[in-house]
Amino acid sequence: MSLVIKNLTKQYNKHKTGLADYSINIEKGVLGLLGPNGAGKSTLMKIIATISKPTTGTLFLDGEDIVGNPDRIRKILGYLPQDFGVYPNLNAYEFLEYIAAMKGVGGSNLRKRIDMLLEGVNLTADAKRPIGTYSGGMKQRIGIAQALLNDPKVLIFDEPTVGLDPEERVRFRQLISDLADDCIIILSSHIVSDIETIADEVAIMKNGKLITKAAQPEIIKLVEGKVFETLVDNNDVAGIKNEYQVIDTGRQKDKTRVRFISQTGAPELSPATVNATLEDAYLFLTHDNK
Amino acid sequence: MKYINSIIKADYLQRTRSYAFLITLAITFYAAYSFVPPPTASYTTLNVVGYKGVYNSAWVGYVSGMMTAIMLSMYGFFLVNGGIKKDIDTEVGLIIATTPITNFGYLLSKMLSNFLVLLTIAGCTFVVSIVMFFVRTSGSPFIFSNFLIPYSLFVLPAMLVISSLAVIAEVFLGRRSILQYIAFFFFFGILMANINQQKNETLAVFIDPFGVRTMTSSIKNHINIKYHEHIEGINLGFTFNSKRGFKTFEWNGIAITSVFLLSRLLWLIISFVLVYFSSFFFHRFDFKQSGNKKKKLKIDEPNTDGAMFAPTGINRALMPPLVTDYGILPFIKTELLLLIRKGSKWLWLLSIGVAISMLFAPVNISHAYILPALWFLQVTRWSEITTKEETNRLHYFTYASYKPLQRMLPAQLLAGIIIAVVLAAPLIARYAVMADGYAIINIISGAIFIVLLAGCLGIVSGGKKIFEIFFFLLTYTVTQNIPVADYLGAVKHDSHMAYIAVILAFNLFMLVVSFGVRSYKLRNV
Repeated sequence: MSLVIKNLTKQYNKHKTGLADYSINIEKGVLGLLGPNGAGKSTLMKIIATISKPTTGTLFLDGEDIVGNPDRIRKILGYLPQDFGVYPNLNAYEFLEYIAAMKGVGGSNLRKRIDMLLEGVNLTADAKRPIGTYSGGMKQRIGIAQALLNDPKVLIFDEPTVGLDPEERVRFRQLISDLADDCIIILSSHIVSDIETIADEVAIMKNGKLITKAAQPEIIKLVEGKVFETLVDNNDVAGIKNEYQVIDTGRQKDKTRVRFISQTGAPELSPATVNATLEDAYLFLTHDNK
Repeated sequence: MKYINSIIKADYLQRTRSYAFLITLAITFYAAYSFVPPPTASYTTLNVVGYKGVYNSAWVGYVSGMMTAIMLSMYGFFLVNGGIKKDIDTEVGLIIATTPITNFGYLLSKMLSNFLVLLTIAGCTFVVSIVMFFVRTSGSPFIFSNFLIPYSLFVLPAMLVISSLAVIAEVFLGRRSILQYIAFFFFFGILMANINQQKNETLAVFIDPFGVRTMTSSIKNHINIKYHEHIEGINLGFTFNSKRGFKTFEWNGIAITSVFLLSRLLWLIISFVLVYFSSFFFHRFDFKQSGNKKKKLKIDEPNTDGAMFAPTGINRALMPPLVTDYGILPFIKTELLLLIRKGSKWLWLLSIGVAISMLFAPVNISHAYILPALWFLQVTRWSEITTKEETNRLHYFTYASYKPLQRMLPAQLLAGIIIAVVLAAPLIARYAVMADGYAIINIISGAIFIVLLAGCLGIVSGGKKIFEIFFFLLTYTVTQNIPVADYLGAVKHDSHMAYIAVILAFNLFMLVVSFGVRSYKLRNV
């Protein structure tokens, strides 16, 4: 199964471009989308989910045009949007039955399927309460359950870990790993560590464009040897920020530990070279001066 | 005062930057145009038996001002109502609650932003009325004060009263929109009846926020004295007449007395006092205190809030095989469930009671008064019929579902029509016994019409307000037996077939628009 996106552009108006001539090939496995706000991640996901039409460009699923025939992908799509809502007066069973009807899932097994999904996201005990009374994390879990209702082959998760506590995030990552064997999973997150743990490949976006798409080690290699750490006086931090791309700082009594990226090595600071991470690479690649 | 100004400004901008407001403005322009009909038109907006006013600046300015005061009061309430609810839904209210603004300050800002919205619309009719003066008259001098006085003394107080009522309705009736609408429906009806029927002229002036009585009395007295007539009543609003001979009279506006000015001042004061009084009962977005017991969790209820996923996770291999079903019956079932659960159980009890009453009331009363009122009781159910996905931010799912246009939209409309027909069933049964097929067809096509209107206006405007306003106006005018507003065949028409064909044409038009616009929206989230 493959999703081939060619020269996709989404122009909202004269001044606002969601995607600009965007091309990417997506195969089975987990693709993590990283990018600052406004990079076009949600626009790309909405176009793949068929709820937004591209201005120009093509999108093929196993050779079939999805822009012209959106129902082709809708049958096998699981989509968890970033800012979704629910009908507050329905309980979890009724809500999932409704989504099942939308997805064209029925039959006598439907109830069992819903039971298993609710059990999987640990909502069985609350399944008969109106969803309007659920917490943010519980709503997010019902969102994940609905995405899996139709045994999807293409799964799109836009910021799926928002509202989940640390333990839930760990479980969610495991769930994604289990699903990844026979699905295309596209997942966006601001939390780089989520992507780092789950994604087979990472696509970094900025200003509606694809900066790079590769396996994590290859992306990290781009900043290998350029990431440093040093301990400086608190007063010197501002100067370093002016000079270098500071990734992170941490206060230690009167000193501040500074992690930064430098092409030259910044010998005047006598820094130690440290192992680069995906976060370093992401910040390096999306930095304004880049 | 700085806070209040900012809230008024933000609130005003928020409301006016919407499709619903633009549509309202467009309708207002048309309405303002129709307030001053051409002399050859088959209707009048101020009907004095056997007489017609000469189109001078007083006539055009006062009729336009008075019609604006009445019509905008009628639908303005629906337009501006919901300002506090919006703050609750968006949770902006929680932020406001933590600021130093007083309850009165907040409610006053809501009232004034309501007022500004209505004033913007009234401003449009003011401009159109001046344009209409030059269109409809020739040779008559343009006197600006004849436009300024009615708009200042009729429209402004009326708009302030409506703005105030919208706020206090929200304070005392909370988020129960339907109760607010019913309360306003009765308030408006009773007020208008009292203004028209009050024998004591001075009292009539004082109980009239719209200034209608002062104007009609002035016209009546003018004709009675000048033409030695004994005219008792003057009809306001759109009155359709068969063409016949009229005598003309020239009227030059009202005499502004101190009693009239005092009555205007009184209504302004009442508006502010009502809002001040209501501020003592305002919840300030603290719903635990004001007792929304329904939403509180009971201690013994199961609650897995914060618990993680099941350790076993979701094993897709163990799931039962996927069975596809692309029919719309499951959709209709859920849409019916959503419609039934919308609103309180009391509303259902009331609706069922009213429906049953149609079995016993005279058939014509049931058809012309009870059925329109019963359907209007469902206004909040139907007004969200095609907007609830977006309101609840569920359209990301629904629009990405399989064939949403062919399956979801028909299911929504069918569920709405089923509710309308079921509620009308007692009356339909009586017509069935009477073997009156036309009446049954009229009721069913009326049910289809009102649900399609809700669906179409919801899809086009993206909100529920426009439909609520239309439905209120339709219901009010149907209960006044005005044939042109008769969407359910309650009034006698010259030709059954022509009437059915007209409603059918409207229904088809709305269906095409609904599907066309929804089709576009599905791919442009």
